[in-house]
Amino acid sequence: MRSTRAGKIILPLTLAGALMLTACSNSSGGTAAGGSSSSGLGGAGNATYKIAFQGPLSGDNQQLGINEVNGVQVAIEQANKSGNLGFKLALLKADDQGSPEQAPTAAASVLQDTAVLGVVGPSFSGATKAVGPKYGDAGLTMISPSATNPTLSEQGFKTFHRIVPSDNVEGSQAADLFAKKGYKKVVVIDDLSDYGKGVADTLQAGLEKHGVKVQRIGVDAKTTDYGATATTVAAAGAQAVFYGGYDAQAAIFAKALQTAGFKGDKYTGNGGKSSVFTDGAGAAGDGWYFTCGCSDATVAPSAKEFNAAYTTAFNTPPSTYSPEAYDAANALIEAIKTAAKAGTPTRQSVNDAVNALDYKGITTTVKFDKTGEVDQSAQTVNLYTQKAGKIVLMGNIKDQG
Amino acid sequence: MSDFLNYLILGITRGSMYALIALGYTLVYGVLQLINFAHSEVFMSGAFGSYLVVHAIVGNGQGVSGLGAVFVIIAGLLSGAITGAAVAFLLERVAYRPLRRRGAPKLAFLISAIGASFFLAQLFGKMFNRLGQNQFPTYFDANKVLFTIAGAPVRLLQVIIIVAALLLMFFLDRLVSGTKLGRSIRATAEDAPTAALMGVDIDRTISRTFIIGGALAGAAGFLFGTAFVFTNTMGFIPGIKAFAAAVLGGIGNIRGAMIGGLLLGIAENLIPTAPWVSTAWIGIQWTDVVAFVILILILVFRPTGILGERLGRAA
Repeated sequence: MRSTRAGKIILPLTLAGALMLTACSNSSGGTAAGGSSSSGLGGAGNATYKIAFQGPLSGDNQQLGINEVNGVQVAIEQANKSGNLGFKLALLKADDQGSPEQAPTAAASVLQDTAVLGVVGPSFSGATKAVGPKYGDAGLTMISPSATNPTLSEQGFKTFHRIVPSDNVEGSQAADLFAKKGYKKVVVIDDLSDYGKGVADTLQAGLEKHGVKVQRIGVDAKTTDYGATATTVAAAGAQAVFYGGYDAQAAIFAKALQTAGFKGDKYTGNGGKSSVFTDGAGAAGDGWYFTCGCSDATVAPSAKEFNAAYTTAFNTPPSTYSPEAYDAANALIEAIKTAAKAGTPTRQSVNDAVNALDYKGITTTVKFDKTGEVDQSAQTVNLYTQKAGKIVLMGNIKDQG
Repeated sequence: MSDFLNYLILGITRGSMYALIALGYTLVYGVLQLINFAHSEVFMSGAFGSYLVVHAIVGNGQGVSGLGAVFVIIAGLLSGAITGAAVAFLLERVAYRPLRRRGAPKLAFLISAIGASFFLAQLFGKMFNRLGQNQFPTYFDANKVLFTIAGAPVRLLQVIIIVAALLLMFFLDRLVSGTKLGRSIRATAEDAPTAALMGVDIDRTISRTFIIGGALAGAAGFLFGTAFVFTNTMGFIPGIKAFAAAVLGGIGNIRGAMIGGLLLGIAENLIPTAPWVSTAWIGIQWTDVVAFVILILILVFRPTGILGERLGRAA
């Protein structure tokens, strides 16, 4: 009895509290949005616009998302500090865990905030496919720093852009390298995700064009036991293996491959290149190669200032896709500035400005073609390798072999 | 031939872990006629519990001698078993006993089990992390080749897993067939009301059955985590497979669970990769399909599983 009576009092109280909380957050969201539009009309310098980031901030693939959102944050802070914006910028984080299932929820939270003028992301190809039409219909521009599935730019998403080369470029250039190295047979594995399958498909097509034999294996990304897979690879008599998938799984696979005693060369794509891989695989990851349409922010001279700012802010050097996210955010900021010059920026005017961009970032020149792909001339694929537990840049993949 | 043996050894290794988990399903089914769907989370908790102990002993794994490693493995097995037993005990107290006391319908147990399963998986995610690749420290050379059979290497870790599983199953077999506790478990399984009239404390027997099943699953959690990786969601797939293995062998039948586990592990490693040399066959992505097709086929021809479902009789 006593407990139920207490429940009778506590329950309404908590409910009321929860209602108050939601009411507060609603009203504050409302004023921020209202403030931005009204002050935009007045032309004063205190309007606040938001840049949203959508990517995995929790779950198995959170590392890539964290790398990226930190890059975006550095860009926004620098822009706010510069004092020549004429408005204020804020960051809205939307966590989609990198999964197509969670992505619509994350996108909905972005879309309902009217102060958001552009999205950096989504990080992952599957998630991008899931929300591309939504952002397109709302006219909200998106610039992905890492979604590389080739078909994304062929779906007719109205506002899709990405500043990294698609897996078509990465896969076909990797195939060229494999042929140059004289491999006769390559085992190509994918994790059945949009990204993994995409890069594996283009690699396979490229290799077959060069007359290299390909054995394909598909392994679900939730697998923990790669014993049978690794044994198959070791028994295949191939000179190289390529894993198309993400870092956490690639690391487990690397360990199993070492156990199985595979002697050939080991590759993975941009999804595998991260500290999650090096931490997880340990010594088993040494000698692995990574193909990536991304640049190494720790060595590129143009990125020095960014490196310093990033390292000060987060106590760790920028990692895979941090510089790309920084560029994507800066490109978006440029577009908002351009749009703001012509009046109050709207989602549509910002998207138009993004389409017309010609902005020199630290990783690439941000200039989009009609489908949202970054300009042909800027599509560089680099080869990296793990040495003594660290990922080091070897250089442009075309110069290797 | 050596490829075939390679896959066979992998299959036996995986199968012995399935068998350990399957025993928990089958024991509980035997005494309660209900499937403990939170059992997969008991297995998961064993991995985390043993990790804490192993990590406390060896740190990051440097400087452990050969004999020390044996000690650490035994400590890991024990701590995994204790964690699993504790979680299973609490599970029975919180999620099942209150329902049983009030004579709830079977469906309520099922819902309660699913709820407990979600709760435990999320609790461990919150307490530790939700990363996909937690690993035990490396304190011995798990990949050391002990001997080869016709060109197929047999590695240290595989031997440890198989031997540990066999030992545990042997003890369980003796426990159920030769001790007073075992007799009361069998009596409860056969006819609970009559057993109660004969002086068997049903509540205590059920509680102990959960503890035994939980200990085996917890030990399996340690072995699984050492062999692969451990996560807060690791229980689901091995749990479903072990449940299938228990049904395959005959749910409620202890030796059936052992055979079912081994059979399933071997089949899902051998069949998708057969005929071991050609690449034209279905391939590894069909592993789960193969596992469940086998389950369906066996149930079509032997609806009660390979050995039939009787805990009371088949010791």
